Amino acid sequence: MSVSVSDLTPEMIAADRERFPRVFSLTTGDRILRTILWVGTAAFIIYSLNRFGFFSERFWGAFPRLGIMIDQMFPPTGWQYMGEYVDAIGETLSMAFIGSLVGGILAIPFACVASKNLMPIRPIQFGARRFADVLRASDYLIWGLIFVRAMGLGPVPGIMAIIVIDTGILITLYSEALENIDRKPIDGIKAAGGSRIQVLRYGVMPQVLPVILSNALYMFESNTRAATILGIVGAGGIGFLLSDNLRAFEFSNALTIILMIIAVVYAIDYLSKVLRERFIYGDRVSQGHDRPMERIAAQMKK
Amino acid sequence: MLRLESVTKNFGAMTAVDSIDLEVPKGQLLGVIGRSGAGKSTLLRMINRLGESSSGKILYEDDGTTIDVNSLSGQDLRNWRSQCAMIFQQFNLVLRLNVITNVLMGRINYNSMLKTMFVMFSPAERAFAIRALDRLDVSGQALQRADTLSGGQQQRVAIARALVQEPKILLADEPIASLDPRNAQIVMDALYKINKEDGITVICNLHTLDTAKKYCDRVIGMKLGKMIFDGHPSELTDEMARDIYMGGDEEDEEFSAAITSTTL
Repeated sequence: MSVSVSDLTPEMIAADRERFPRVFSLTTGDRILRTILWVGTAAFIIYSLNRFGFFSERFWGAFPRLGIMIDQMFPPTGWQYMGEYVDAIGETLSMAFIGSLVGGILAIPFACVASKNLMPIRPIQFGARRFADVLRASDYLIWGLIFVRAMGLGPVPGIMAIIVIDTGILITLYSEALENIDRKPIDGIKAAGGSRIQVLRYGVMPQVLPVILSNALYMFESNTRAATILGIVGAGGIGFLLSDNLRAFEFSNALTIILMIIAVVYAIDYLSKVLRERFIYGDRVSQGHDRPMERIAAQMKK
Repeated sequence: MLRLESVTKNFGAMTAVDSIDLEVPKGQLLGVIGRSGAGKSTLLRMINRLGESSSGKILYEDDGTTIDVNSLSGQDLRNWRSQCAMIFQQFNLVLRLNVITNVLMGRINYNSMLKTMFVMFSPAERAFAIRALDRLDVSGQALQRADTLSGGQQQRVAIARALVQEPKILLADEPIASLDPRNAQIVMDALYKINKEDGITVICNLHTLDTAKKYCDRVIGMKLGKMIFDGHPSELTDEMARDIYMGGDEEDEEFSAAITSTTL
């Protein structure tokens, strides 16, 4: 048989087109739909740009001023305040850490209640889920503003804001992990005569613990970023200093702070990644189930 | 003719493929057997350079020209890969794309970068793809998404993708290890037909002895990276097979009978 592409005659191609028209070209309906989609998207882009004055003098006039500000940022200054900055970053990190720790632990009992397989009473399970939704529905800044109004300036309202959101997100993540556990080991423990508690200890915990730790660690990472911002609404830490300097037109001091924030956030992200890979998923050899050789070699290396 | 000269692959301290010398004449259906971990996949992946060899030479001689596979790079390497199609144990289709697009993927090396970015293939190529699917009896599914197909159908689509590459060699890495016996037979029959009708050289990694005996012109046996058998399937005695499949530890003795007698 062995025909090559170049051997196909126009008649043969036409016959195939007859049999499978949609392989060769779009149907008229598809074509119309596609046109509508493109035109609609283009129209919406133009509307949105116009809405914020993209086509006006004011929009384009703002960029030179941005250039002036960036120009004033260099070189970064304020090294004499370094002690103060480091202290503030310490405060930010403590906010993130305590907030993540409390939130990470607080979420565990709620997550059990919010899991279909652990909480048989549906209204309670449903209520717990919706409670978590309420906690995480608004942003750190919204909770930050609320707690600052109620409790005054300082890191404590910041920690509260982090706890609330962290708990809300982790309840959802944990309970999804709990619902996705494999039933087979649980049957295994039950068949060995295990009690409810023993089933939780040996059937459930080993399966969810890595997920819980990895999610909590990831949240710490993300909370570090949030904590720097929270200062802007008055919840202490490095963000407070940053917004202070920006308001006082001390752009070059602000740059120093921004650089420090970037360095710290990067360090935390990296640390968290290493911890998650090394200690939580450390026993898994990556990929390659169809390449036994490389798997064996990877195991030997350890 | 494909020629391997003391081809070796090391993973750290371990030698996965140990100095293999091999000549595969054009049009042969060569079976490679051995336990998992014997180095079969690694060997195959070095031929199309999905894996690099640590030392040795891989040469392809055709019409008086010789290609030194290990020295290829860039466009030359991509040309070689398209000449030397591969099918995989897990089929390796792009599951979110439809069947015909998966098959047309076999033509990407024949088209300009820009055209392929917008899935612009010529009517002749589309007809060619349909004909390849026809040969494997899956053209009816041409417009379905690949993930709606059964494993056996997916492997046949993968073979169609390999066919439209118009390859000189077809590498098959455990093509039937994930399939049920009936689908395994359909896929092996298809490879056999392609080999005989199109004269495409087929190098096929296999788990089981019976399949190798039924389809292959020639069988090589690998164990711990070394080639310990090379001959006609009929020369493969029970004793030889036991040697290929057994590692020497006692539990293997128990398993050997089961492994070597599995049909397909």
